[in-house]
Amino acid sequence: MHPLAFTLDTGKDEASRALLVRAVRVAFPHANFPDSAYERTADVILTAAEGTPAQKLGFAATLHDLDQAGFAAMDDAAALEHLKSIENTPFFILTRSATVVTLYDDPEVWAVLGYEGPSFDKGGYINRGFNDLDWLPEPRIEEYEAAQ
Amino acid sequence: MNTIANDEAAVVIIGSGAGGGAMAYELTAAGIPCVLLEAGAFIKNEDYHNDEWDAFRQMAWLDARNTSGSWRVAKDFPGLPAWIVKAVGGSTTHLSGATPRFKDYEFRARTTYGDIAGATLLDWPISLEDLAPYYDKAEIAMGSTHRHGRPALPANNNYKVFANGAERVGYKQYATGPYATNAEPYDGRPAAIQDGFNFQGDKNKSKWSPLMREIPRALETGLLDLRPDSHVVRITHGADGKADAVLYLDKDGNLHRQVARVVCVAGNSIETPRLLLLSDCSRFPTGLANGADHVGRHYIRHMTCSVYAQFDKPVHMFRGETMAGIIADEAANNPDRGFVGGYYMETLSLGPSFLAAFIEPEAWGPEFAAMMDAYANTAGMWIVGEDMPQASNRITLSATVKDQWGLAAPNVHFDDHANDTAMRDYAYGQGAEAVRDHGGGFLAPYTALSLDAQPRHLPDEREARGWCGRQMGPGARGAEPLRLGRLGDDHRRRGEPELTIVALAIRQAEYLAGELKAGNL
Repeated sequence: MHPLAFTLDTGKDEASRALLVRAVRVAFPHANFPDSAYERTADVILTAAEGTPAQKLGFAATLHDLDQAGFAAMDDAAALEHLKSIENTPFFILTRSATVVTLYDDPEVWAVLGYEGPSFDKGGYINRGFNDLDWLPEPRIEEYEAAQ
Repeated sequence: MNTIANDEAAVVIIGSGAGGGAMAYELTAAGIPCVLLEAGAFIKNEDYHNDEWDAFRQMAWLDARNTSGSWRVAKDFPGLPAWIVKAVGGSTTHLSGATPRFKDYEFRARTTYGDIAGATLLDWPISLEDLAPYYDKAEIAMGSTHRHGRPALPANNNYKVFANGAERVGYKQYATGPYATNAEPYDGRPAAIQDGFNFQGDKNKSKWSPLMREIPRALETGLLDLRPDSHVVRITHGADGKADAVLYLDKDGNLHRQVARVVCVAGNSIETPRLLLLSDCSRFPTGLANGADHVGRHYIRHMTCSVYAQFDKPVHMFRGETMAGIIADEAANNPDRGFVGGYYMETLSLGPSFLAAFIEPEAWGPEFAAMMDAYANTAGMWIVGEDMPQASNRITLSATVKDQWGLAAPNVHFDDHANDTAMRDYAYGQGAEAVRDHGGGFLAPYTALSLDAQPRHLPDEREARGWCGRQMGPGARGAEPLRLGRLGDDHRRRGEPELTIVALAIRQAEYLAGELKAGNL
C-alpha cells in the first residue's frame, strides 16, 4: 500500500476516511457493530475536524502521520499500541469525544447492545418488559414498616 | 393569561422552577396578580424529545459558564458545572421525582455535627416541626408515592437488582419511593407508563412539575403573566434602597424593564447569586444583599457518583421509571463511619451514549468496549450525599468568560472538604468482606448479589463488576436554593431538594400573601 499524499480535504478523501474508520474501530472495538455505524461516526468526526485552519491542519497532519506509520496494515494489538502513543493529541481527543456521543447514539448500535431507546410512542415499557427480570425474587416495593 | 403593564408595580417572580412555580401558584390562588419571568423557553411536556441528547440540547442551561477548583468537573466539564434546566418548570423537568424529607437533625446540622474544621455549618432558623405541615402540602401537591394514600410504583428491572442487593446487604429502608410520579391517575395526571424518560421532560405527564401543575393552574386564574425567554440581568432599587424594578433580556437580546413592588428571586444556585452580583451599583458595590459578603458562598452540590454493575443475565435497566428506587439506610448520620452526614442510593439508568460519555470521561479501548457490550446486563444506581458547606466554594462573576450578551458568566469554584472525601473513600474503600460485615459501600448491593453462594436464584458463577464514575458533574442536577429571596444560607441537604423547596415556597407564599393583603408591602 502506497502512503497517501498529505490531504487537507480529509472529509472528501476516501483513503483518509478509511484510515479514520479503522482508528475508531481499534479504539472502540465491537465485533458485532456494523461497519456502517463506524463509517457514520467517522463522518461526524471529519465534520467536527473542520474547525479553524489550525484545527484542520492538525487533524490532517495526524492522519498523515498515521498513514506514514503504516497504521492501516497493523494488526489489532499493534494498532491499539499505536493509538495509545497518540492518545493526548488533539486528533485523538476529538476522535474519542466525538465517538462516545456518536457511535453509541446510533440506532443500529442500540439494536446490537439491546437498548430499545425512545418508548413513549410505543406506550412506554409498561407492557414491553419493564419488569420481566426473572432471575431474582420479587422485591418489596413498600417502605420498611419498622422505619415508619 | 393576564397581561400586566411593564410600568405597573407588580409582584415579580424570577424563575419558574420548584420554588418560583410554587410561589406563582400560591400567590395567584390567593388572588394576587404576578409576573413570572423565566429565562428559558416554554417547552410543553409533549414537545420534549424521548432521546437523551436531543432532550439535553433542548433543556439544559448551556450559556457560557466557567469552573475552578480541584473538583474533577473543572477538568472534565469546565463549561458545565451543573445540569440545570433553562425552560419553564426549571430543573423539575429533569428531576427524577424522588421526594425525601429532610430529617429533624438536618435542621440542626451545626449542633448535631459539631465543630467541623473548615465547614460553615449552621442550624436552620426553623425546625422540622415548623415545616412538617408544609411538607404535607408539598407531598400532596406533588403526589409523592407512599404518602397520603398514594400507592407505590411497581418494581422495574433495575429496582429488582437494587432492592435484592439491598436486602442481601442487610439494608432495610428500600422502596420504590417516595417519588412524585403517579402509580395510578391522580390530580389530573395519568399513571406512569414506565417509559424511562422522566428525566427528559416526561412526555407522559405522570410526574409532578410546575410545568404540569402549578403554572397551568396559575394561568387559569387569569392572574399570572408568564413571560418565557425573559432572562433577568439586573434588579434595580429606589432611593430607599429597596428593589423597585427588574431588567430582563428577551431571546433576541432586547432589554425590558418591569416595575416591581416585590421581587421573589427563585433562580438556581448559580444564576441567583450571579443576578445579585450583576446588580452591583454605587450604593451596593459588591452586589445586592451582599453586605455580609456571603452571596454565592457556601456553594454545595451533592457528594455524588454513579455505580454500575454487570451480570450474566439481562437487566434492561432503561425500561421503566429511571429513579424509582431509594435506599435510605446510609442516609442517617453515623460518625463511626469516619464522616458526618450520609447519602442515599437511588436507581439510575442511562442510555448507551450517555453512559459512554459520562461513566469515565476519558476512557476508551477494548476494556471500555467490553463494558459497553454488556449494556443490556447492566444495572445502575446513583449516590447522592451531602457536601460540607465551605466559604471558599463560591459562585463569582468570571473575569474572563462572557455569556452571549457580553455579561460576565458565573464562575463556580469548588474544592472537596475532607468530610466529602472521607464519605467517598468509605464507599470506594470497602472491600467485599467489609461490605458484608458492615453493610456499607456504594457497591455493596451489587457485590452482595455476586458473593452470596446460597441463593436459589443466583448461580455461583454470577459475577458483578462495578464502576464508580467519579464525581460526575452533569450527572448531578444543580444545587437549587431552598429559599426564595435569601442567599448565603447553609442549605443542608442530601437527596433531592425539590420537596423541601416547594414546602418552603408554600410557607413563604402564605406569609407574603398575608403581608401584601395587609398592605405592609
